[in-house]
Amino acid sequence: MNRKDITVNKLKSLGERIIDEINQNSVPSIKVPSRGTSNIVYDDDKRYYVLGERYGQRSLGNVKQITKIAQMVYVANFCKDLVRRGKTATLREMYYVSEGWDVDFGDQQESNIVGEDLEVTLGMTREDLGLMPEEDGASVYGNLVIQEDDVEINALKSGKSGYTISPTIDDVKFLEHDVERVIAVETMGMFHRLVQEEAYKKFDTLIVGLKGQAARATRRFLKRVNQELNLPVYICNDGDPWGFHIAMVIISGSAKLAHVNHDLATPDAKFLGVTASDIINYDLPTDPLKDIDVLRLKELSKDPRYRDENWQMEIKKMLKIGKKAEQQSFSKYGLEYVVDTYLPEKLDAM
Amino acid sequence: MEREAAELFEEFKELTASEFFRRNKQMLGFSGKIRSLTMVFHELITNSLDASEEAGIQPEITIDLKRVDKDHYILKHTDNGPGIPYAFITKVYCTMFAGSKFRNIQSRGQQGLGCSGCVLLSQMTTGKPARVVSGYYEGEKLKGVEMTFKMDVKKNKGLILDRKEVEVKSTGVSIELHFKDVSYSLSEQGAFEYIRRTMIANPHAKIKFRDPTGHKFIFERATDVIPPLPKEVLPHPRGVTADDLIFMAKHTDKRRFRSLLTSSLSRMSTKRVNEIEEATGIDLNKRPKDMKWEEAEKIVDLFAQMDFMAPPTSGLIPIGKEQIDKGMREILSPEFAATTTRKPKTYRGGVAFVIEAGISYGGDSGRLVGEQKKAEIMRFANRVPLTFDQGSCAITEALKSIDWKRYGIRDLDNAPITVFVNIVSTNVPYLSTGKQSVAPEAEILHEVRQATMKIARSLQKYIRAKKAAKEEALRSKIFENLVPVVIREAAVLAETDVPEYDAVLAKVTRKAKFENIPLESEAENE
Repeated sequence: MNRKDITVNKLKSLGERIIDEINQNSVPSIKVPSRGTSNIVYDDDKRYYVLGERYGQRSLGNVKQITKIAQMVYVANFCKDLVRRGKTATLREMYYVSEGWDVDFGDQQESNIVGEDLEVTLGMTREDLGLMPEEDGASVYGNLVIQEDDVEINALKSGKSGYTISPTIDDVKFLEHDVERVIAVETMGMFHRLVQEEAYKKFDTLIVGLKGQAARATRRFLKRVNQELNLPVYICNDGDPWGFHIAMVIISGSAKLAHVNHDLATPDAKFLGVTASDIINYDLPTDPLKDIDVLRLKELSKDPRYRDENWQMEIKKMLKIGKKAEQQSFSKYGLEYVVDTYLPEKLDAM
Repeated sequence: MEREAAELFEEFKELTASEFFRRNKQMLGFSGKIRSLTMVFHELITNSLDASEEAGIQPEITIDLKRVDKDHYILKHTDNGPGIPYAFITKVYCTMFAGSKFRNIQSRGQQGLGCSGCVLLSQMTTGKPARVVSGYYEGEKLKGVEMTFKMDVKKNKGLILDRKEVEVKSTGVSIELHFKDVSYSLSEQGAFEYIRRTMIANPHAKIKFRDPTGHKFIFERATDVIPPLPKEVLPHPRGVTADDLIFMAKHTDKRRFRSLLTSSLSRMSTKRVNEIEEATGIDLNKRPKDMKWEEAEKIVDLFAQMDFMAPPTSGLIPIGKEQIDKGMREILSPEFAATTTRKPKTYRGGVAFVIEAGISYGGDSGRLVGEQKKAEIMRFANRVPLTFDQGSCAITEALKSIDWKRYGIRDLDNAPITVFVNIVSTNVPYLSTGKQSVAPEAEILHEVRQATMKIARSLQKYIRAKKAAKEEALRSKIFENLVPVVIREAAVLAETDVPEYDAVLAKVTRKAKFENIPLESEAENE
C-alpha cells in the first residue's frame, strides 16, 4: 500500500471506531496522545524526541470534549477528501473552509491544534493528511533526477538556485543520482559559493541551501535521501548556538514535532562546523558572544540532544573563548578557501 | 445702666409646646426640604394606619400632591378610618402633647409630634389655614363636617375660621395642607420611597398616590389580614429608670408603694418585693407619693443585680414572615424572596424585641442607579420606614458585618437585592432625637445578623440552583446540537450509513450530570 492509501484507511478507521461504539449503544471516545512537555521524551535508541505513553480521552459525553471530537471528525473528512483528490491545502485555507461547518473554531490557532490532534492520533504527518505548510523548503543543487507528478527534474539543470523542495516532498520520486553525499548549508550565500566553486563536482555532492531553520519539507527530504539513497548528510552552519541548533533539529528532531520525528529526524546526519575548534584552528574573524548567545549555549548544554562528548566540548570551548563566527568568514583567506581547504579537511576528518 | 432682674424676667415668658416647636422645627424632624416632606407623609400615613387598624378597618389611603410653584405644594391626604368627631378635630390637629401618659406599648407613632406638627409646618411656611373634612358615626348616624382652621401657637390650640356640615359617603378624614420650603424627591430619602417602603411593611394597606407630575400610582394590598392591635404590657423591672418609677408613683391610685410595684411592673411578685425591702432597707409600705428620688434610684440599681424572668412578649406584634413575603412580592415582584421572623429576645436585660428580615432578588429589587442595580437596605421600626441616618444604624452595621461572599454574593453593593429588616419593640432604642437609627445594642446586632444570614442562605441556594439549571440547559443544548453532527460526520468518514443514535444521545445528555470523565491534559505548545 502506498502512503496515500494508508492515510485514507487510517482516517476511515477513525470514523468506523465511532460508528461501532454507537452501534453498541456505548458513548464513543477517542484517545489522543498527550503533547504536553511532560510527555515528550528523548529516545536514546532512536536518537530523537518521541511522544511518551500518556494520552488524553475525548469523550462524546463531555461538554468540552464533544466539541473537540466534532472538530476532529470534520477535519478528518476534510483531509480524506484532500488525499482522495490528490490535493493539498494550507492550515489557513482549512480554517476558512471550516466557516461552513456545523462546529466553530475560535481562531486559527484552535484549528491548528485540532490538526495536530489528528496527526498524533493517527500517527501521520500533516503532509500525509494533505495539510501543507505555507513555506517552501530548501534549494537543492546537484546531480539528482526526481519526478514530481509527470515532470522530471534534474537538480543540476534547474538554474543557479537549484530545485526548490516542495511541501509535497512525499509525492516526489527519486529517479536517479550520481552523488555520494549531501552537504547542507545554513545560508544561501554559502550555497551560491559552493555552486560557483563547483563543490558538487569536487565532492560528488548535493548542495542544500537551508535558508535558516530547516522547513519540515527540507527535513523530510534530507531524511529520505539519507534513508532511501543511503547518502551521508553533512551540515555546515554558522559557528554560534543558533547554527548548532539548526543542525541539531535536522539530526534529532524538535520537541514540538515529537509525534512525527520518526519521519523528520535524520540521526545519522553529521555536523561539519563551524565549531568552536574551527574558530581557533582556522583563526577566523569573530564577533563576541552576546548575552543571549551565552544563555542559549547554556540551555543547549543541558539539552539531552547535546549529551554527546564532542558537543559538550564544543559548547564549553565557545563559552570559554566567548566568540562566534559566521560560515562566510572563511573568505578572509579568499573566496575559494572554503571549498579548496576547509571542506576537504573537515570531510576527511569525519 | 443696669436692668433689674424683674425687668429681665418680663421677657421670659412661658412658651407653649407649639411656640417652642415653632422656633425649633428641626426637632420635629423638619430639617431640609426633602426630609420635611417625607416627615409630613410619615405623620399623616402613620396616623391613618393606626386609626384604621384600631377601628378594625382595612386601611386605604389616597394622597394627592400638587405642585403650585417651585417649592410650593398642596397636599391632600384622605383615609378610610373611623373619622374624627367634630369636637376633637382641632385637638388632634392643633394641640401638641395631647394627653401624655406612661404607656409601654408597641406603636408606630414615635418619630415626631404627629399631625399637629404638619399643621404647624404648613402654617409657618405658607400662612395658609388647614382644611379638614371628617366623616364619622355618631351613634348610628353618619355625620360629615368640613372645617377650616389655623393653629394659635401662643395658646397651643386651634382657631376655627369656618365650619359647616357636609354630606359624606363614608367615614374617614381628609386633610388639605399647603407647604413651602419642601421638595418632592424620588431619592431614597424622598416621599415616594417612603410610601413604597411603608407598603412592604404594611401589606394590609392600600395607597393611591398621585405625584406632582400627575402620574398615579396604585399600591394594592397584598393581604386582607389586619394585624392584631398591640396590647399594652407592664414594663419589665430592667427596662425602667428612677424617673419612670417617680412618674408612676405620681400617677398611681395605689396606696402603698409595694402594691404599685407589683401592679405596674411585670415579673414582680410579693416575694420579690420583700427581697427588695430587705436589701434596700426602704419601707415599701409607705405611700407612693412619699417615694424619694434617691430611693427610686436605689431600687433601680438593685433591679439590675436581680435575676428576673425575661419580659413577657405578648405585647409584640411582628408583621410575620408570610406577610412580609407578600409585601415584598407585591411591591418588588422579585424572582426570589425569603423572609424570617425571629423569636423574641431582650436587650439590656429587660426590653423585649423581635427582629424580622426579608431578602428579595431580581425583579424590582434593589435601586436602579444609572444602568446599574445597587443593593438597597430597608430599615423599619415597628413597621415604620427609617429613612435617615442610615450609616449609624445598628441594622446597617449588622448587615455590613456579614460576609456576603459566603452566600454567593460577590459584591453586595452592586447586586439586585433588597434587604428588609424590621425591629419590633415596645421600646426601640433610638440613637438620636430624629428617631431614625437604632442603637447598636449587642443583642440587636446579633439578632439582625442571625435573621439575615438565615435568609441569605436560602438566597444562595436559589442563585446556585438557577446557575446550575442554566448550565444544565446549556450543556443539554450542546449535546443535542453536536451529537448528531459528530455521528453524521463520522459516518461520512467511515463511508457508512448514519446509525440509530437516540439511545446514546439520551445517555450523554442525562449522563453529563453524573459522569466524571477525567479531564484531558491540555496540549502545551513550545
